[in-house]
Amino acid sequence: MGTALTYTEAELVLGLKSRSEKHFGYLYDHYSPALFGVALKVINDETIAGDVLQEIFLKIWRSIERYDIDKGRLFTWMVNIARNTAIDTLRSKAYKQGLKIQELGSAIAMEQFVVHLAVDHLGLTKVIEQLNKEQRIIIDLAYYKGCTQEEISKILDIPLGTVKTRMRNAIIQLRTILKQL
Amino acid sequence: MDVQRYISSGIIESHAAGLVSESEAREVEAAIMQYPEVKAAADAVRVDMERYVQIWAVKPPAGLRKQLMERLNEKEEEVTVPVQEEAVEEEEEPRSLMPQIPVLKMWQYGAAAAILLLIISSIMNFVFVSRIDEYKNKNTKLSEEQEALSVEKNAFSERYQQAQKEMDMMKDPAFKWVKMQGVNKHTGIVATVCWNPQSKETFILAQELPATSEDKQYQLWAIVNGHPIDAGVFELGNMTKSLQKVKPVVNAQVFVVTLEKKGGSITPSLDQMFVAGKVAS
Repeated sequence: MGTALTYTEAELVLGLKSRSEKHFGYLYDHYSPALFGVALKVINDETIAGDVLQEIFLKIWRSIERYDIDKGRLFTWMVNIARNTAIDTLRSKAYKQGLKIQELGSAIAMEQFVVHLAVDHLGLTKVIEQLNKEQRIIIDLAYYKGCTQEEISKILDIPLGTVKTRMRNAIIQLRTILKQL
Repeated sequence: MDVQRYISSGIIESHAAGLVSESEAREVEAAIMQYPEVKAAADAVRVDMERYVQIWAVKPPAGLRKQLMERLNEKEEEVTVPVQEEAVEEEEEPRSLMPQIPVLKMWQYGAAAAILLLIISSIMNFVFVSRIDEYKNKNTKLSEEQEALSVEKNAFSERYQQAQKEMDMMKDPAFKWVKMQGVNKHTGIVATVCWNPQSKETFILAQELPATSEDKQYQLWAIVNGHPIDAGVFELGNMTKSLQKVKPVVNAQVFVVTLEKKGGSITPSLDQMFVAGKVAS
């Protein structure tokens, strides 16, 4: 996109901290699809997800000072901002509409979690479908919907004590599948 | 600490998925700092989650980048603008205050202003009074409309409850449905009795009975060992579409419907029998 330049992560962070819009544009070009994907998975609405994506990048721009490269990768930090921003929006919107978290458990809502990819980029749909539905749902509920262990236990109707081991199994399965890529 | 057990407990995965409480998160972070095996496991899971995130990457709408870059600039401008405005106002205000006006002129201006205000006030009074009438009319109209709606709503609600009751009865196995076919010259017409031998409740559904004259009414009879027992009269018209409650029936082998004088008879006019149906035993 426009620039053929590439930055190392350290250069990029340094540029952002010195408020360089060029670096920010580079950041957007390289990371917006991943972060938009996060917002879209959380919100399930392209228009709202677009607004949320702007908020995410403004937050990154404003709080880059606080990012410490020694504490973790830039991508991890940004994904967490994206998740938190999107989940906050989801919760506040859900709150306004008077929705209760229990309703997430309804069969219709369950289907929505299993978002199908519009474009089969890299042929990943088939691979991701190898994760069984419950494993995908447990990861998505926690990671993308910000549900607590209690909520997941209620929604999936499994004992509270087994939520963590289910999560482990789901991620181990995910790893096996990702290895095939 | 049993590191292997800790790793296999699932807490590291739950932490990476954002599932743990704050105190648990602190515990995991402490364990990561302390045990290299835990750190390795946590890093691996983090990579898994990042790759999972990448799988769902979607290109955002094209216009977004430009909008965003403009918003970056806006924010910076906003900070500087208000400060300037305030400074300008403070300088200009003293200049425009109180030009030198003679006392007499002040009095004249005052009188003129008072008269002007009086005129405006009168006009406003007139305008508002006429508006009040308008609002009153609107208000009456709205409350009438609301009343009509509420009547309509009640009617719907009754219809709904009726439908619900019918549904419940259809589901209740205690109810027996007896289809009564036309007899003698009345072939082709039909009515159905819905009878609960336990609760004695009885309903009739007058699906296809010919219209009657004003002074006549259909009457339902339960026949036990050849003796007719009155089960009450019922209506046609709109009511044909729904179940009508009739008198409770204690026992019945056959149900028949006859045409009687309005209000019903004590004994059935058997020559006026329209439909009849046997109760399945």
